[in-house]
Amino acid sequence: MSLRRSPLHSEHEALGAKLVDFGGWEMPLAYRSGTIAEHLACRHAAAAFDVSHLGTVRVTGDPATIFELLQRTLSNDLRKVGPGRAQYTHLLDPSDASVLDDIIVWWVAADRFDVMPNASNTERVLAALDGAGADVTARRAVVAVQGPAARETVTRVSPGAAAVERFHVTEFEFRGVACLAAGTGYTGEDGLECAIPTEPDGVAAEFWRAVVDAGAAPAGLGARDTLRLEAGLPLHGHELGPGITPLQAGLGWVVGWDKEDFRGREALERERSSGGPHRLLGGLVADSRRPPRAESPIVDESGTTLGEVTSGNFSPVLERGIALGFMPPGTREGTRVRIDVRGTELGATTTRPPFHRPRTP
Amino acid sequence: MEIPSDLRYTADHEWAKEDQGRVRVGLTDFAQDALGDIVFVDLPAVGSEVAQGGPLGEVESTKSVSQVYAPVSGRVVEVNEALRDAPEDLNAEPYAKGWLCVIEPSERAQFDDLLDAAGYRDLTEA
Repeated sequence: MSLRRSPLHSEHEALGAKLVDFGGWEMPLAYRSGTIAEHLACRHAAAAFDVSHLGTVRVTGDPATIFELLQRTLSNDLRKVGPGRAQYTHLLDPSDASVLDDIIVWWVAADRFDVMPNASNTERVLAALDGAGADVTARRAVVAVQGPAARETVTRVSPGAAAVERFHVTEFEFRGVACLAAGTGYTGEDGLECAIPTEPDGVAAEFWRAVVDAGAAPAGLGARDTLRLEAGLPLHGHELGPGITPLQAGLGWVVGWDKEDFRGREALERERSSGGPHRLLGGLVADSRRPPRAESPIVDESGTTLGEVTSGNFSPVLERGIALGFMPPGTREGTRVRIDVRGTELGATTTRPPFHRPRTP
Repeated sequence: MEIPSDLRYTADHEWAKEDQGRVRVGLTDFAQDALGDIVFVDLPAVGSEVAQGGPLGEVESTKSVSQVYAPVSGRVVEVNEALRDAPEDLNAEPYAKGWLCVIEPSERAQFDDLLDAAGYRDLTEA
């Protein structure tokens, strides 16, 4: 099967990006400066990511009808927000409340939602919406600009986009073309994500170049992963997926308990009434630079296995190995543990993510 | 891709340099570029015996873990301690500051059988 390419593909090639297969897409892993430099650019200034591989499933129609459809399909409660806002939510498996996908919903207007699943889960979300959604992924590029200087950088390209508030969605014009900006991201920093149409041809690439020329460092999936891990954000397929409920992932706030019914509600109620989740996602900071890796067992000082690592890597900010992993719900912050990394014991201390908090503006 | 002509190479992307009867070992420019940003190097213990083609250590980048294999059999007599705190040296200067260790070889002939620069270049361009 051939890999899908972003509308910005030739931009990445021109910048000397190393490309990698991600969810069926050929996307930049890193540019010439490398993952750590890209990570630090995002923490200290601004970085630009091509996230066109995210899906866009567009749901349009009668406002009340499409609102009800999303309310019963997705876990979070849209009544907490409104048109012009963005919301993080889950698609749950009705049988066991496993998180089938984690999603940002852009409530563009009363009669339009742009549902943004993970690349490989777009089909699943389309199926859950029972034919009411249209896959418009190929019709736009999505550029994320993140970091303390992200807004200042985007202001030089489009003041309208840069003005979008956190978890709001706004339309803006770029070269006379209607685009969308959302105050969202996946790095733990302030920033925004912009959807630029692929028609007329070249406008998306022009936007990307303008953002890079304005000073945002191009950053690949490598930095996107180390940034999200440092920010304690879950990645589907690691912290979320088959057998993992939102409650186990510590994301109870994504569950709209006040709604009458939604996919997975019954299974979640069973989990809640049987004493709550049997494991909880927590953080680990290693004693050295060594990155803990997914599936490594976490063992306490008495030799009892507590759980296992779901994601681990090197934290460029802490200069230590860090990880997320499942442990029993009562595990205290500051507990000394050992992580079995391919037969070598790595000492670590439990902590509550995030591992890094951005400076408040 | 830099492939110095005065070094010998393995098909696993280690380089070896003979230096007064001892063999200095590192990873090639090709290897460091493929690995991406290196964040941790697990070095062998000084004094440990290693076998040609056997494990010598591990190098971890932000994206993966890679085994390092011994280009020759022998005893590890020196390791690059600076890499513990500055593994990025391996990216920046794979043939100089980024060296991994020095082996006192037990079988001299093994070194002579390693790939030369032209042979290694063919391999990386294949």
